[in-house]
Amino acid sequence: MENVVSLVNVHKNYVLGKTTVLALQGVSLTVARGDFISIAGPSGSGKTTLLNLIGCVDIASSGQVIINGHDTHDLKERQLTELRLNTIGFIFQSFNLVSVLNVFQNVEFPLLLQHKLSAEERKSRVMELLKKVGIENHAKHRPNELSGGQRQRVAIARALVTRPALVLADEPTANLDSKTGETIIDLMKEMNQVEKTTFIFSTHDARVMAHAHTIINIADGQIVGSQTPAAKKAVLKISRGNKGKPASGTSSKKITGKSK
Amino acid sequence: MNQLRILLQIAFRNLFSNFLNFVIGGIIFIGTLLFVVGSSLLNSMDQAMSKSIVGSVAGHVQVYSAQSKDELALFGSFNQPDLAELPDFSIIKPVLSGIDNVKSVIPMGVNNAQVAYGNTLDMVLEKLRKAENQKIRGNHSTELKTRIESYKTHVRQIVQVIKKDYGNLSVLSDEEAVDRENTVALNKASSDDFWRSFDRDPLGHLEFLENKIAFLLPDADFYSIGYAGTDLDSFKKEFDRMEIVDGQMVPQGQRGLLLSKFIYEHQFKMKAAQRLDDIKEAIEIRHSKIAKDPDLQFLIKQNKTQTREIILQLDPMATNSLTRSLQGLLKSQKTDLAELLPDFFDVNDENFISRYRFFYSDIAPLVELYRVRPGDTLTIKAYTKSGYIQSVNIKVYGTFQFKGLEKSGLAGGLSLMDLVSFRDLYGYLTPEKLLETKQLEKAAGARIIERDKAEEELFGADSSSSIVTTSRQAPIDEKKELGVIRKTDTSANRVYTQAEIDKGVVINAAIILKNPSKMKETMEKIGEVSNKNNFDLKVVTWQKAAGFIGQFVVVAKMILYLVVFIIFVVALVIINNAVMMATLQRTKEIGTMRALGAQRPFVLSMILVETVILGLTFGLAGTVAGSLIVGYLGQVGIPAMNDFLYFFFSGPRLFPALGAGSVIGAMTIIVVVATISALYPALMASKVSPLTAMQAEE
Repeated sequence: MENVVSLVNVHKNYVLGKTTVLALQGVSLTVARGDFISIAGPSGSGKTTLLNLIGCVDIASSGQVIINGHDTHDLKERQLTELRLNTIGFIFQSFNLVSVLNVFQNVEFPLLLQHKLSAEERKSRVMELLKKVGIENHAKHRPNELSGGQRQRVAIARALVTRPALVLADEPTANLDSKTGETIIDLMKEMNQVEKTTFIFSTHDARVMAHAHTIINIADGQIVGSQTPAAKKAVLKISRGNKGKPASGTSSKKITGKSK
Repeated sequence: MNQLRILLQIAFRNLFSNFLNFVIGGIIFIGTLLFVVGSSLLNSMDQAMSKSIVGSVAGHVQVYSAQSKDELALFGSFNQPDLAELPDFSIIKPVLSGIDNVKSVIPMGVNNAQVAYGNTLDMVLEKLRKAENQKIRGNHSTELKTRIESYKTHVRQIVQVIKKDYGNLSVLSDEEAVDRENTVALNKASSDDFWRSFDRDPLGHLEFLENKIAFLLPDADFYSIGYAGTDLDSFKKEFDRMEIVDGQMVPQGQRGLLLSKFIYEHQFKMKAAQRLDDIKEAIEIRHSKIAKDPDLQFLIKQNKTQTREIILQLDPMATNSLTRSLQGLLKSQKTDLAELLPDFFDVNDENFISRYRFFYSDIAPLVELYRVRPGDTLTIKAYTKSGYIQSVNIKVYGTFQFKGLEKSGLAGGLSLMDLVSFRDLYGYLTPEKLLETKQLEKAAGARIIERDKAEEELFGADSSSSIVTTSRQAPIDEKKELGVIRKTDTSANRVYTQAEIDKGVVINAAIILKNPSKMKETMEKIGEVSNKNNFDLKVVTWQKAAGFIGQFVVVAKMILYLVVFIIFVVALVIINNAVMMATLQRTKEIGTMRALGAQRPFVLSMILVETVILGLTFGLAGTVAGSLIVGYLGQVGIPAMNDFLYFFFSGPRLFPALGAGSVIGAMTIIVVVATISALYPALMASKVSPLTAMQAEE
């Protein structure tokens, strides 16, 4: 299977006042199509930075970031936006729905930006997705009329509506209670299987993490290890074991996430 | 298209989502309301006023000599403008009339003159003289005798009043200030002897009264009237809003004066009647209440104290009858008219209308309501350009007004005079005048003597001239002596040909256009033609020709636009800030849109469309509110509170109409202001990084 995401020795530095934060220090990673990957790591470990680079909302300081065959370094701002629109779906921690638009309009929004489909096609596409995420009865509701879980369902529908190659979810369950969080992850997983869409999500939550095919651990801007699906318990252990200290036996900075 | 739809959707939904939008909207609402109402009012006023000016004397375009030191000001300026003359209108007229869009060219000259007329005693004496002349000519009817007796009693009554006044004067001031001679004359005129001997020599007695007594009555007046000398027939034809009110039009080609009805009512009418008219107008048009309006109370007070004007005019018969009818009306036992009249004039809101009617039905017929009546001949004196006084006797044929401008002092400020008389007053030597001068020279035996021979002629040995003419002691034959002057008086009935009217000096000319919308082009054309023919003309619009009055609306418009401009500049700053704040509150949403794939221009146009929609929504509300106000005002009209406004409103009320221009203008301003004020925030918004979407909420 071809790779949707391919990172080669990526560095990302931020200048904060007089200090330079080395957010990512030589990350290499490939994600194959149809994968369902969790990026795990403590706050400040660089997982959001990694997601930003993959999501083309940020540019690497050095190294190669190739998304769906495009080297983001070579792309202009406008082309990056285009790439995000057509290739990547986003699910945010705080849902980020447009408050003045109703559920249907929120989901339809990326399609309108795309200019590809007719009104009818858009409608059937949106309704189909709303059905899939189980929120079709709330199509006319405004986001503030929905619960957190419902909102995140809308966000998932919005992320998938353009049939992107890749969906990025940054802490999608952080603002939800654990039960709702799990159903959301289940929904994502279902979508991953039904739509064959690649999912990359970041999380703190070990239980959420456990649903992933592959877990990539990141600490201090470096990938410190990865686990494969079957060992759910092991994942839990590792994540616990990793707490507060660098993972041992992961001297290699270049870890390739394997697809299932 | 779809994007625009979503932009509009977002814009409309955001409309009431933020308190700041109400602030922005409020400003825009007030701004547009003001703009729509203000510009509609001013446009209506502009139209009304242009009707007033164009339709009264200005025409569409005015031409006058480019040599003039001042600018033409038909409706007056702060001082009489110094204008050069156009030496011969007959050359200019055919050339300008030949221009495509020119309908007609009407010659004019605007000037001021003084009119003097006799006082009440003069008027009664003149009636008496006429009656006595009839008697001399052999009329011995009893009717005439009664009339003569009545006039005589009236004169005696007036003499008594003057004597009383004079007595008061001598008490108030030093002995020396009072002329002894006048006291003697008054004593004589009030003596029984004088009146017993009257019938023996009525003309001699009349002369005494006219020369020694009449001038002591201080109610004679000098009036200054503004007039436009013009080709009256063409004027009447082209200014079709002009209508004759009293009397008749000056017969074609003849000399004559048409008094402005406004001036006639305000200067030549009896003061008491004028004041009653003013009160009536205030009550009917301005809905004033006497009880609440100090101005009206003052007019009533004046009427109560200034009754002599009426009393002096009444002969004993009239005095008696009026006394009786006033006693009846007022249910009063008083027998003195001087006490009854103040009671009569003491009006209030309840009895005003009935008193007003009584005045015109019972008092007015007994008195001379106007000092001048159609058919009278007035002596008009004017300063010529070189500074000496010219006077012309001119017959008043009637009064005129401009339809719709009846009450406007400005439009009605000018009386109309024939062009020939105007030229006489202006000091222009008409062929007639030249002839008259020659005849006078001949009659007086005057010769032209060259300056260096003057001494010899006067004092030389063989001087043939005698400085002192011998005079014969004999009665003066008026007809013979005044023959020369009489001859010129016949010119009052002379009919002048159009060529004679056109030939000669004019000051300016009004040009009426066939198509007023092409005024600018036609003015250029007139300028061209004038240059080609060396006419040396200055060509101005009616607006400019009207003097400062014409500029008034222009200035008012500029002030309105300035105010609106300031409001919108302030609005611009406030909107800019408000949009900036609103945008900052929405960075996350904007970042999300950017992350989802919205390009920068999308975000830019989103903010712009939102602001424009906001502006248009509240602007439309302001426009609708403004239109409703204008519509309401258009129904009820705005009353012209004074003569000045009457002129601007071209009538008693201004009915403003909503102009498409006002609405389009308001909308345009809003779109421009909204766009400009949102431009910077929109630019900032478009720079919001998609990264902001990823940041967790604090």
